[in-house]
Amino acid sequence: MADDVPYLPWEHVGQEPVPTGKRVGLLVDPRRCVGCHACGVSCKTEHDVALGGFRIRTHYLRRPDRDTHLFMPMMCMHCQDAPCIPACPNDAVVRRADGRVEIDKDSCQGDTSCIAACPYDAIHLDPHTNQADKCNLCSHRTDVGMVPACVEVCPTEALRYGDFGDLDSALSKTADACGAQPLRPEHETRPTVVYAGLQAWMGEAARGVQLQDGENDIVYER
Amino acid sequence: MTTYDPTRRDVIKTTAAAVALGALGGTLMPPWEAVADEPPGDDRPARRTIDYRKAKATPTVCFGCTTQCHVIGWVQDGRVVRISGNPLDPNSHGHICSKANGIVHGTYYPGRLLYPIRRVGKRGEGKWKRITWDEAYDEIAARLQKLRDEGRPDKFAIQVGRDKTSGLTARFLSSVGSPHGLNRRSICSSNNRLGTMTYYGTIMDWGAPDLARTKYVLNFGSNLMEAHQGGFGGIQRMQEARVDRGAKLVTFEVRPSATASISDEYHRVTPGSDGCIAMAMAHVLVKEGLAKRAFWDRWCNIPFAEIAAQVEPFTPEMAARESGVSADTIRRLAREFAAASPRCTTLLNRGAAKHVNGIHSSRAVFLLDILAGNVGQPGGFGIVNRGGWKGDWGHEGLPLVGEPGPKPPKPPKWKPGMACFDELPQEVKEAYERLPDAWKAQYQGELITPTQYPLAWQWQVMKVGQMNYPWIREGRAKIDTLFTYCFNGGYGYPEAKVCRDVLADESLIPFHVSIDIAYSETAALADIILPEATALERWDGQSTNAWDYVPFTGVRQPLVKPPGECKSVWWIYHELAKRLGPDVFQYWDFPSDEDYYKRYYANLPISWEQFKRQGVWQPSGREPDYQLFERPLTAEEMEGASIDEATGLVSKEIKGKPQTIGIVLDGTPVRGFPSPSRKIEVRQSVFEQAAAVVGLSDHPIANPLPTWFPNPAYEVMKENELRFVTFKWNVHTQGRTAHHKYQAEIVHGNPIWIAPETAKRLGIADGDLLEVEIRRPAGPVWNSDPSRTCGTLRQVARIVPGVAPDLLAVSHHLGHWEYGPIGAGQLKGTAGAEAMDPALLADRDIPDNVWWAKEKGGIGTGVPLNDAMPIAPTPLSGGQAWYDCVCTVRKVPS
Repeated sequence: MADDVPYLPWEHVGQEPVPTGKRVGLLVDPRRCVGCHACGVSCKTEHDVALGGFRIRTHYLRRPDRDTHLFMPMMCMHCQDAPCIPACPNDAVVRRADGRVEIDKDSCQGDTSCIAACPYDAIHLDPHTNQADKCNLCSHRTDVGMVPACVEVCPTEALRYGDFGDLDSALSKTADACGAQPLRPEHETRPTVVYAGLQAWMGEAARGVQLQDGENDIVYER
Repeated sequence: MTTYDPTRRDVIKTTAAAVALGALGGTLMPPWEAVADEPPGDDRPARRTIDYRKAKATPTVCFGCTTQCHVIGWVQDGRVVRISGNPLDPNSHGHICSKANGIVHGTYYPGRLLYPIRRVGKRGEGKWKRITWDEAYDEIAARLQKLRDEGRPDKFAIQVGRDKTSGLTARFLSSVGSPHGLNRRSICSSNNRLGTMTYYGTIMDWGAPDLARTKYVLNFGSNLMEAHQGGFGGIQRMQEARVDRGAKLVTFEVRPSATASISDEYHRVTPGSDGCIAMAMAHVLVKEGLAKRAFWDRWCNIPFAEIAAQVEPFTPEMAARESGVSADTIRRLAREFAAASPRCTTLLNRGAAKHVNGIHSSRAVFLLDILAGNVGQPGGFGIVNRGGWKGDWGHEGLPLVGEPGPKPPKPPKWKPGMACFDELPQEVKEAYERLPDAWKAQYQGELITPTQYPLAWQWQVMKVGQMNYPWIREGRAKIDTLFTYCFNGGYGYPEAKVCRDVLADESLIPFHVSIDIAYSETAALADIILPEATALERWDGQSTNAWDYVPFTGVRQPLVKPPGECKSVWWIYHELAKRLGPDVFQYWDFPSDEDYYKRYYANLPISWEQFKRQGVWQPSGREPDYQLFERPLTAEEMEGASIDEATGLVSKEIKGKPQTIGIVLDGTPVRGFPSPSRKIEVRQSVFEQAAAVVGLSDHPIANPLPTWFPNPAYEVMKENELRFVTFKWNVHTQGRTAHHKYQAEIVHGNPIWIAPETAKRLGIADGDLLEVEIRRPAGPVWNSDPSRTCGTLRQVARIVPGVAPDLLAVSHHLGHWEYGPIGAGQLKGTAGAEAMDPALLADRDIPDNVWWAKEKGGIGTGVPLNDAMPIAPTPLSGGQAWYDCVCTVRKVPS
């Protein structure tokens, strides 16, 4: 690093719109995750998320084979057959051209049908705005060439973002190579978020993104 | 599937309204109640979104934990809205952890101190009035001036917790003439630092094994994934080595931490048995011919036969009895470790070191690296020098960086005839007389150079922070004016009540000034509280260990102006110095804090503007610091040097002082280690010397060779007693993050962890309320007596498989009773509100959405446990033996 100016990425983001892709999504790798919650706190800060609601949450799952934990981040799965979209009477849950599912803030009336329809419990009602809220893969970031906040901070690349619509993308290839699978495929919603090293018990154990009844101490599954 | 209940929020709103009304009834209305959200209507409050086309990005340094990652702060509409990683940081590679964004919420916390306040009631009563900075400065400066006029500036002390001010604390003390810079290293890393210091002559700040290139790691009590000092760079390197390159991580721990969870093998051990396992592994390496003899013979200061005899009694069978890990496993792991050499390393931290045997356990663990010959090798145990860039060993070729002149002279050492010395109690004077002359020459009173703990200061001045308050109470030290800075011993020290009792007693501490961000349990006991700028609002220098062994440095710079009247500690010292006259102010006479730091970095071969723009500077083309000790001394270095025939030591005069610069080995002068002998001092006579001074010559702690001995408290443990340890979480840092809302949302409770088999034996069910009575220590430890109780705590049980048997584990960080609505979990009100401002710092979540608060029907914010933990300084070093406790437990009706 001499005095001639290196390329400083933070000086260049946001200036030009950047196309995102055909079917954007995430590859989650619980084998890499260390449960540090960098993703969760960064996400909540990025989006000013109310206490009590979660766009992403990392579960500490008790392993069936040994006395330790497996760490598994969960967020909106950006399903290709997303039940939340038809559930909304106000057409406020929309799919963008790049495949991601978003809440349209101009249309959301705080009807909670989408929340009830989501099999991953990925949507919550923001108590301040009385509108639905969930992961949108940080469209305000990805539209200007950045990766989602959770992906950016993750120290171990347990979260990767990219375009599954492009079969030659790094994400598609990595996901293929490790045989990544959606969580709980039995819901038949065709998620665009897939998990590496997934085993059936993990889908059973990781219940949902939001706090469950009685989940007062949210870190460890009972 | 979903369990959402749309009525739940309404219930919370109603409760909050009732609480707010109740609060109006008598006590001062807390600032955050005044700005509670209106119910959503057509005028919905807009959610803040970040527009990266407009937000301004500035590099700075994180203060979320001890690691000091370089980060980018994003500022929008005059507020820091987000922290991201600086991709130029060679340690973090542009990533961050949860704590980085936490400091944003600490900065804009409604309970933040914004104005200077002075107490109007009794100390600790919680009654304050707002004062101006001039009033505060004048009163404080008058106190300091009086001490100077009386010739007793030594009665001024600054007690720091996490002091990241690049030397400002010592500079201000020296400017005034006091040696009393009090720290907290003894409750943190002193025992493990002694492990490396006694072998290699360097304390290294924190261990930096070459995890990026290693194949095999034996981890003794490091919670690398959650709470290892400087550990963030190690997280990614360890996971990449494991997942992408098949490296193996073996962890010895007492509970299923995040580190244990990602480890390839997790072995539950008896607390404090790590050193015994390591000695047994050393036994296996020696017995089975797996040690690297050539490395040993070249670098160690004793013959191999001597270490072979030393490890002989430590059989795997003995270690199995002490630790619970089977002898076969110990043998297998020792062989695997040796087979991976030189790309193998140990990893160690407080889990192994904060025990009465912790210095020796650290030495026993590091012995494995020496035997395996991995020291300084790619993928092995790194030997680096700490940050600072002062021209020390390991700083060769780096520009000198540091405090700009003129620098104040160091305060004088204490000698008989000086007032500060003469008023020491007789027993201290007698202890002083027993010190070797070279140690006497360093003496500066009991708080800095305690006679009972020579290894707390005989090399590196680490001190024995947890003894400061007992010693002040006992009259072994006299302090008139105390500043506490980023320090909360009133909550976080062992037997914290002792610290609080002394701080509350005006006869012991006549004047106490707290410099802090939020209203802590310690600030509550101040006479004046000065509101400080956060790390996002001030300047600081930074340099620390490089995980890839190419040193780098960087600068913390303010992203925004502090709110209210908060000031950085630099300005506070500057203004006080101004009032103390030109002989003090000459060391602070800089036009601004920025100018001071510009001079601090004047030697960097990069312009100040460019340095600020990048945030980080690393020399280009520098080779990684592998095997620095093998580097031949250059012809230039050898010029004017002399060689001692008997020892091979190479020395020469540098800046008027004779200094050792290397050693001749096999006819070649090489740099060697920074130890006095330039070798690895496996035999370390300082243990014998120090033990003789304090009358412990017959104790195994006096052993100059690596060894292990059991915790005396476990030796006398009764049938009905259990072991007790504390631990740290990945989302919290010490006691200073419990009020950061998003971190607290994740971890706000500290239930008592207990293994299912232990719970079953004791008839304890998950959720049962337990009362734990913690015993005083046993053995040659201050105030020891295992028949007495130190303190009790009540908390619910949580049954967690994987916890060591017969052990209770409770997390630190939590159970605050100050720190405002989130820290204390009390939504109704706080003392210190006179220093806060609802108009300036409002958070729409606080207090309405603090769903875990007891007032909302949640579990609350945990119980304080440090009052119940005994002060237990390790003999010789004073390092707090946190994890040696023994307790009883009983169920109580909830």
